[in-house]
Amino acid sequence: MDFSETAERISLKITSKGHSVDTAGIEKKLRRLVDEFGVPAAEAERTVTNELMKEYDIPNPGALSGSGEQKSINELVPGEWVTIEGRIVALSSSPSPAISQTGIISDNTGAVRFVVWSKANAPVMSTGKWYHIESAVVDEYRGVANIKVHSGSTVKEVEKDGALIPAVTPIAELSVGVGSVRAKVLQEWDTTHDRMLQSGLLGDESGTIKFVLWKEEGKEKLVPGTVYNIFYALVDEYNGRHSLNLNTSTCIPEEGDIAVSSGDTTVEGALVHLAPGSGLIKRCPVEGCNRVLSRQNYCPVHEIQPKFNYDLRIKGWLDNGVKTWELLIQRENVELLTGMTLEQARELAENNPLGMDEVFLRVRETVLGRYLSCKGREIDQRILVSQCGFTHFDPTRLADLLNRAGGETA
Amino acid sequence: MNGNGKPAVPRRDLSFEREPARRVFAAELRETRVHFKDGEDEKSPTYVLLPSGERCNRIFIVGTLTEKKKQGEQNLFYRARVVDPTGTFFIMAGSYQPEAMQQMARIEPPAFVAVVGKPTVYETPDGAVLISVRCESITVVDKDVRDCWILDAAAATLDRLDLPDGGADRERAKKEYSTDPALYRKMVYDALAQLRI
Repeated sequence: MDFSETAERISLKITSKGHSVDTAGIEKKLRRLVDEFGVPAAEAERTVTNELMKEYDIPNPGALSGSGEQKSINELVPGEWVTIEGRIVALSSSPSPAISQTGIISDNTGAVRFVVWSKANAPVMSTGKWYHIESAVVDEYRGVANIKVHSGSTVKEVEKDGALIPAVTPIAELSVGVGSVRAKVLQEWDTTHDRMLQSGLLGDESGTIKFVLWKEEGKEKLVPGTVYNIFYALVDEYNGRHSLNLNTSTCIPEEGDIAVSSGDTTVEGALVHLAPGSGLIKRCPVEGCNRVLSRQNYCPVHEIQPKFNYDLRIKGWLDNGVKTWELLIQRENVELLTGMTLEQARELAENNPLGMDEVFLRVRETVLGRYLSCKGREIDQRILVSQCGFTHFDPTRLADLLNRAGGETA
Repeated sequence: MNGNGKPAVPRRDLSFEREPARRVFAAELRETRVHFKDGEDEKSPTYVLLPSGERCNRIFIVGTLTEKKKQGEQNLFYRARVVDPTGTFFIMAGSYQPEAMQQMARIEPPAFVAVVGKPTVYETPDGAVLISVRCESITVVDKDVRDCWILDAAAATLDRLDLPDGGADRERAKKEYSTDPALYRKMVYDALAQLRI
């Protein structure tokens, strides 16, 4: 195939702007793209032209496959080329040398994460300023849109009044992406990782959510019990539950208080089934794992673990005659219900020919077929029980029912 | 907040719904005749239709185990009677319910027991219809649990009787059983009245 004609055409475009180019070099590039990489000839021409125009800083509006129309941030759809205008509301440290900047850009319709590739040679943007970003790509990561600024994009600072007030979302209505909340710090948890600065639970009137703050210069821990306005945090989802990453956010404490909803439900009914895996169980001792081991002390991830930890739990179905819930009751409450401590259960298992089965049988004798009241977080049909107890005969209920049954026959 | 047309996150498949265990007094279960299968599949659930107008695949009962009998040679199974304030439930546990069978083996009557099981309708060769309960589990409980159950079963029965008319199951029950709700109301009242003593 002959590339000299194409190369000539390209070099003409450049020289007409007053630059000198190496036509042989252009031909070589074209040949390489077409012969070696199987790029169609027209596409190769476009690629080489754009590359040179970029190199010589020649404005090149027509060359891209459409720079995309200007859109507001809440209209972005993955896969599109777009032009947006927004204010940088957060910048986070770059996770890789290939990325020059990453953060959150916002306009008055919403906010979205962005990534600027190092190769884009884009000007460095700073927090609080407005930018016009032309020909960026809307990408998708874990089901959430984000903006990629690449070598074909242009970034220009624009003068604009920067009064952007982010809309606060109730915790129960957050969706994956970027979100702002007004919430109280309810709990502070042990950090499970060296790089973690703080983790815990935030709550507002609608519910609660886990938060994480990673170690980073200038980041400070939140104060438990304080209400914060948290702007532009990242909302993640794991196993159907949301969590907030606060590293991108601005957290402003305030004086007020919030009547936090615990998000807990209380259910009552009879325990109609005790599932296998209840009673005394062995857990993987590897830090952060805690998975239940098989009888042969096998962890699905860490293989044989002879130095396991014992634990007590109840898995089963609670049933009120109309609805059913799968219960998961942890050690503390199992000890309360059964009157058997973990230590006693362990001794029982170790000194009994039936071993751990004996504990299962004892637990079954004390809880199966009993009426329970359980409080906890409900996820799908499952309840992670935080508090529970047996319910007992209630004479006032008897009186009410007698009235109800007798009322209409009398 | 980002509102960028994110696709709905696929949820865990929730097609499995456990059948709730209905609370029903012995006197009502004894009258139950209609049984059917919901669907053509071999694994489709089977139901009995309670005279008060609700389908039921599983029941939860608490009463006094008064008698138990071991039967069969190769295929060992237990038959037992559980009594509530309105009458008697006939329950059984066989080798298809090994857990319930072993639980049953340990229990000596008389004892308060809580039973979870599936009601089944039988027709004898001479045309009589019997209903018995195949146990999924049976545990010894105390009187407090039994008393709670009477309240629970009373409330559930009244709820069924007080349902507004309409619904295929309810209409069918009316036609098949020609139930007099007042009789069931009296049954409930009498059962509750026993608790007052």
